[in-house]
Amino acid sequence: MSAAASPLLPKEDAREAALFFVVCALCFLAALSGLVARSAYAAADAWTSDVSGEITIRVRGDDAALANAVEITKATPGIATARPITRDEAEELLRPWLGAGGVPVSLPLPRLIAAEAAPAADAPDLLRRLAAALKSAKLDTIVDDHLVWSGDVRKSIDLAGLVALIAVGLLGATGLAVIAFATHATLLARRDIVEILHLSGAQDGYIAGLFERRFLMLGVQAGALGALLAFGAAAFILYLLRQSVAQIWLLPELSLSLADGLILGMAPLVAGAASMIAARVTVMRSLSDMV
Amino acid sequence: MREQGLAADSPVLRLDRAGVSFGPDSDVLADVSLSLSPGSLTFLTGPSGAGKSTLLKLAYLGLRPTAGRVSLFGVDTTHLRRRDLAPLRRRIGVVFQEFRLLDHLTAYENVALPLRVLGGQEKAYRQDVIELLTWVGLGDRLDARPATLSGGEKQRVAIARAVVVKPDLILADEPTGNVDEEMGERLFRLFRELNKRLRTTILIATHDLALVRKSKADVLRLADGMVVRVPHAAEPKSPPQ
Ligand SMILES: Nc1ncnc2c1ncn2[C@@H]1O[C@H](COP(=O)(O)OP(=O)(O)OP(=O)(O)O)[C@@H](O)[C@H]1O
Ligand SMILES: [Mg+2]
Repeated sequence: MSAAASPLLPKEDAREAALFFVVCALCFLAALSGLVARSAYAAADAWTSDVSGEITIRVRGDDAALANAVEITKATPGIATARPITRDEAEELLRPWLGAGGVPVSLPLPRLIAAEAAPAADAPDLLRRLAAALKSAKLDTIVDDHLVWSGDVRKSIDLAGLVALIAVGLLGATGLAVIAFATHATLLARRDIVEILHLSGAQDGYIAGLFERRFLMLGVQAGALGALLAFGAAAFILYLLRQSVAQIWLLPELSLSLADGLILGMAPLVAGAASMIAARVTVMRSLSDMV
Repeated sequence: MREQGLAADSPVLRLDRAGVSFGPDSDVLADVSLSLSPGSLTFLTGPSGAGKSTLLKLAYLGLRPTAGRVSLFGVDTTHLRRRDLAPLRRRIGVVFQEFRLLDHLTAYENVALPLRVLGGQEKAYRQDVIELLTWVGLGDRLDARPATLSGGEKQRVAIARAVVVKPDLILADEPTGNVDEEMGERLFRLFRELNKRLRTTILIATHDLALVRKSKADVLRLADGMVVRVPHAAEPKSPPQ
């Protein structure tokens, strides 16, 4: 006599393997979308908060013009600080493009002013006033509008985040539908079990419990594997980015954080809970058709 | 299991002008009234297709009548909620004509199934299940799966499963249809014992007229969608088919 009793609901290897694959893939995609959205937000945050207060002014002309421009900029309300950028600093900024050899002395570099807006400044208005003040002093200058530009970055990142959220939502809904479908298939295939339990006086909850436990386990395991694969994929992408483009684009904050751990840790829990609920609802509804 | 708070002599099973039809003009059961008193043993006979299995299905709450009423243990089931039917089902043991064993469970596990549903512990019931299977001659086939059992062996597993919870009502559909005469008598003796010792009410649908005649039990005859009670001396030797 075998010691452990066979499960009332037998394992169905073919169907469950297919289902496992689908749930795992959905979790992988959802977790990856989550990670991408999260790091896009973080990158944009770091990026924009780095540059958002910064205004760069290019001055064409001699040192006197530069000094004059600095004075005018400092005097503009809404500007916190302003100082000329030295040739050394400018060369440092250009190094990624021109290499470590340095900039040929003969190459004229534009004269630059680095200014910072006061925290509460209204960006477009400040830039307009600053440009007008410089122009009325007959200075040939171009004001770089990081402020406006960083607002645009924010907007696009917000949009990307929204798209990622919608993707996660759709993947979740697809997962629920797939589990419900699979539960239904199992239910139909093993109607004999359901009927004999029902006729033996089992309450609906008892029968639903068999399916719930089965699909909870499947969801948790598939979710865990999907999250693990998403982690691997994200780490690989980060590695590639670091290798190639990171220095050039100065991408900040490209690392896995606590929030990412949370996203990854949630995947199996959410997948398990969703599977369990989908199975329960499907079984209870189908049982309610029986006498 | 015996929660008979109701009048001790109210019928265990009672059909009141019950009718079952599966389509517009196909009444399988037209107008069936019958009453089984506690501790009775009754045969249900009738030609093939007369509706014996359908009548049993009404009795084990596998089907709602399209007309009339079904009462079990003194409770009218007509307006009961689904979840209140389950406790009634637990007091009924059914031997299905087509056995309905679960093919992924062993003979032992199939018999133990209703005990598992009732939340029993294997330690507590294990010996009973083995004894019961030994009684029906399958003591050496405990671990066999239904696919490896003969028709008669499956039937005996099905009977063991129906009686293992010591139900108050046993409904058996052709329980001796697949076994030889000797085994048939042995199985009937099992029902008889339960009937005598535990006062289990038993209804057996059967074609086995030899068994019916020998048993001297009450006989209900089903024909044309109606049931007639047959005095056992009058059961015809070769019924019109
Ligand atoms: N679910 C169903 N749908 C339609 N017709 C059914 C259904 N179940 C039974 N019938 C019909 O009801 C009639 C009685 O069937 P039932 O199985 O009750 O007969 P029976 O007396 O048990 O026959 P047998 O002695 O051969 O077992 C048959 O004509 C059958 O075709
Ligand atoms: Mg029948």
